[in-house]
Amino acid sequence: EETGDDENYEYGKVDFTEHSCRYCGVQNPACVVRCNVPSCRKWFCNSRGNTSGSHIVNHLVRAKHKEVCLHKDSPLGETILECYNCGCRNVFLLGFISAKTESVVVLLCREPCLSVNALKDMNWDLSQWCPLIDDRCFLQWLVKIPSEQEQLRARQISAQQINKVEELWKTNPDATLEDLEKPGVDDEPQPVALKYEDAYQYQNVFAPLIKLEADYDKMMKESQSKDNVTIRWDIGLNKKRVAYFVFPKEDNELRLVPGDELRLRYPGDATHPAWQSVGHVIKLTAQEEVALELRASQGVPVDVNHGLTVDFVWKSTSFDRMQGAMKTFAVDETSVSGYIYHHLLGHEVESQVVRNTLPRRFGAPGLPELNASQVFAVKSVLQKPVSLIQGPPGTGKTVTSAAIVYHMAKQGQGQVLVCAPSNVAVDQLAEKISATGLKVVRLCAKSREAVSSPVEHLTLHYQVRHLDTSEKSELHKLQQLKDEQGELSSSDEKKYKALKRATEREISQSADVICCTCVGAGDPRLANFRFRQVLIDESTQATEPECLIPLVLGVKQAVLVGDHCQLGPVIMCKKAARAGLAQSLFERLVLLGVKPFRLQVQYRMHPALSEFPSNSFYEGTLQNGVTINERQSSGIDFPWPVPNRPMFFYVQMGQEEISASGTSYLNRTEAANVEKIVTTFLRSGVIPSQIGVITPYEGQRAYIVNYMSRNGALRQQLYKEIEVASVDSFQGREKDYIILSCVRSNEHQGIGFLNDPRRLNVALTRARYGIVILGNPKVLSKQPLWNGLLTHYKEHECLVEGPLNNLKQSMVQFQKPKKIYN
Amino acid sequence: DDAIQVRQKVVEVDPLEEAEFDREFRALMQESLESRKLELRARPTLNMTIPMNVFEGSARDHHGRSMEGESGDEVVDEEGGVGNKKDVCVKVLVKRGNKQQTKQMLIPKDCSLVQSTKQKEAAELEE
Ligand SMILES: [Zn+2]
Ligand SMILES: [Zn+2]
Ligand SMILES: [Zn+2]
Repeated sequence: EETGDDENYEYGKVDFTEHSCRYCGVQNPACVVRCNVPSCRKWFCNSRGNTSGSHIVNHLVRAKHKEVCLHKDSPLGETILECYNCGCRNVFLLGFISAKTESVVVLLCREPCLSVNALKDMNWDLSQWCPLIDDRCFLQWLVKIPSEQEQLRARQISAQQINKVEELWKTNPDATLEDLEKPGVDDEPQPVALKYEDAYQYQNVFAPLIKLEADYDKMMKESQSKDNVTIRWDIGLNKKRVAYFVFPKEDNELRLVPGDELRLRYPGDATHPAWQSVGHVIKLTAQEEVALELRASQGVPVDVNHGLTVDFVWKSTSFDRMQGAMKTFAVDETSVSGYIYHHLLGHEVESQVVRNTLPRRFGAPGLPELNASQVFAVKSVLQKPVSLIQGPPGTGKTVTSAAIVYHMAKQGQGQVLVCAPSNVAVDQLAEKISATGLKVVRLCAKSREAVSSPVEHLTLHYQVRHLDTSEKSELHKLQQLKDEQGELSSSDEKKYKALKRATEREISQSADVICCTCVGAGDPRLANFRFRQVLIDESTQATEPECLIPLVLGVKQAVLVGDHCQLGPVIMCKKAARAGLAQSLFERLVLLGVKPFRLQVQYRMHPALSEFPSNSFYEGTLQNGVTINERQSSGIDFPWPVPNRPMFFYVQMGQEEISASGTSYLNRTEAANVEKIVTTFLRSGVIPSQIGVITPYEGQRAYIVNYMSRNGALRQQLYKEIEVASVDSFQGREKDYIILSCVRSNEHQGIGFLNDPRRLNVALTRARYGIVILGNPKVLSKQPLWNGLLTHYKEHECLVEGPLNNLKQSMVQFQKPKKIYN
Repeated sequence: DDAIQVRQKVVEVDPLEEAEFDREFRALMQESLESRKLELRARPTLNMTIPMNVFEGSARDHHGRSMEGESGDEVVDEEGGVGNKKDVCVKVLVKRGNKQQTKQMLIPKDCSLVQSTKQKEAAELEE
């Protein structure tokens, strides 16, 4: 989703130093020696790790190599170990003896030099010959054994892996341990685990999954070329050329989002030369029109409106940053604190308390008062190096997060990094944190600088442009020149870039808090920043490697906020999803026994609407922070079957159909009834922006949009303003009224998407004032959770059928649920 | 401030793997010994001269830091490192081509190498 300008940036640049142990990665010069066989020359350390011999001895024995050389920074300097007398270099024969009476020692070989009688005569004490290799390990005082810390942080290699890699080196001396794990093309990838021996194993598991997802994403996006596109030309406020066009959406999950890069092409004709230009999507209009801001304004065929082609330009940036973060996590010991390193890998670590003076009150200026569970979460989090906050729908996790960040920033441990996977969530957080009075910088991807943002004044690019001090006037002059002319002379451009970079740095460094997306945390502009305190919101919607990007910048205290009972990250590649890429770090930490602090008071839903979700997803712990009166929609005359319960399940028996694309579903009867419900809401005084229609299927979404605009009983424009979207894209948001169209109505097939309890949870918890669910109880009741929902509605006399103006309780029979959901 | 307690897992070495490694290790050792016996037993030459300056005064270690005290003196690990144990400073004599070089190195006091030297020094003192 994030594209950036980091072509020249090298990810995970912290690399294996040449002399790191080829088995485990230990790189302390005092602990390593080099195999001196010319075809080998690999370095190994003197730790035993998980084997009976030290790594260097293991290598020498397995490879049948016998000579070694010490490191230049070791006490003896770069020295090939050899017999002082005969020059024999076989380390299996060498040992130290002391010369005569002084404390001078030399290496002497056991055969033949040690058994030469003449030496004895020369007063050498041959009885105390001390072999170089003792107990399958080099003498510890010659080649040091890495500390326990170093060993724990190193790759945990097994004897089996050693044997395998030594076997591999016989044919391919440059092979790495990663080559052992490389799956064949058709193999299922190795699934994710709960615990990992070390960060290398972690990387070995996740790197192939990210690669799979990246390949799939590339394939999907690059196949999105559209010919014969009709363009409407415009000029933006920044004088850049903008192309508007409709980019027909197929029934797949691919959606254009602001920041995406597209190429526009025209093949040329008699009066126009062939032309092409790339640009960034800056917005998507309500009419599903795409606005593309072109990078170059020259030569645009503005008098041509038809026959253009649009291609997707795929960028590997976000995937590169994930891979880079994993590499940094493995090879850079300072990337995260030792505690967090072991904690993330699932090692048992003695619990640690962060010793900070706690504030007297846990709220923050500019924010609403915190409730008891929020105060408890803030207080607890401030004292722990790693913590999870679970925020069920509407429980104020943004306010809680902002309060935590406020107190962290006041502790004076340097800048706090605040991230979330989505730009929307980052903006919301940035706004709340800024309200506390802290200095906030919102770092946007370069490709999104033209995308409008509710917190524009906090963005780095805006602050750079508006830092109006005299020292900066040079930058302003150049900026103006660039804006007017479109480009600068190469020397001016150089000056401009340098000034801009310096200003960006100055502004970023003076901020208390930096906010960006998780992927944005890998931006080269943050490359030299270190953050000891990191908060990640919506962390349950990020993949683990994505979450790692903001963490490997030196984190010592990490707070993950999210809700593992709502939807997780979207993984397009089924293979990667099956292998567990869709499981978030938050979830794995929960499975490892980290207990999240749960926020318990919800301020969104009418109490009647929160009852079922609370009981089904949160063990009944969700309390209502709003009363029935506060959610009574005065003046709205809608035919709720039970007046104090603004909810009903509207029984639908219409058939589902496969959509035109063949990959999705639609249900015409449900769509027609959605229109009737929408119209009734509108007639009763509800305005379009208060209504959301959600459905799990793209086929149905497109059909409803189309149906309402053609058949809506009221003004067409009203229906166009109503948001119709998938469950997934509604996560994190709310509407006053929600209409949920379930679509599936086939007795013999499953209910697909609706099977995921987390999706049902999200769907049921978007509405503040009222909800209408349309579906087929006969089909849905087979699934235990839906059976529970239907029973709940039936018990409250909210399961109805018939025309809207004459709803009657339905007597439809449920089916027995297949198996108990747990 | 980053002292952490990771619960040490007990390293379990697979006995089969250990036995196999041991076998290979001994085979390599044996082979090394035998090959040398055949090659060199006949005419062992002696080339063990030690330059006199090795026995003189204080040498400089390779960091250019002057090592206080005579060789053989007990020195305390400057870093005050692990256990702060006392080591003994010895000179290691190596050959670079035909030239001899000495390097300073710390050896634990209880190592047999230095113990025997100390004993002999003591014995000689008594004579
Ligand atoms: Zn080797
Ligand atoms: Zn090693
Ligand atoms: Zn020899």
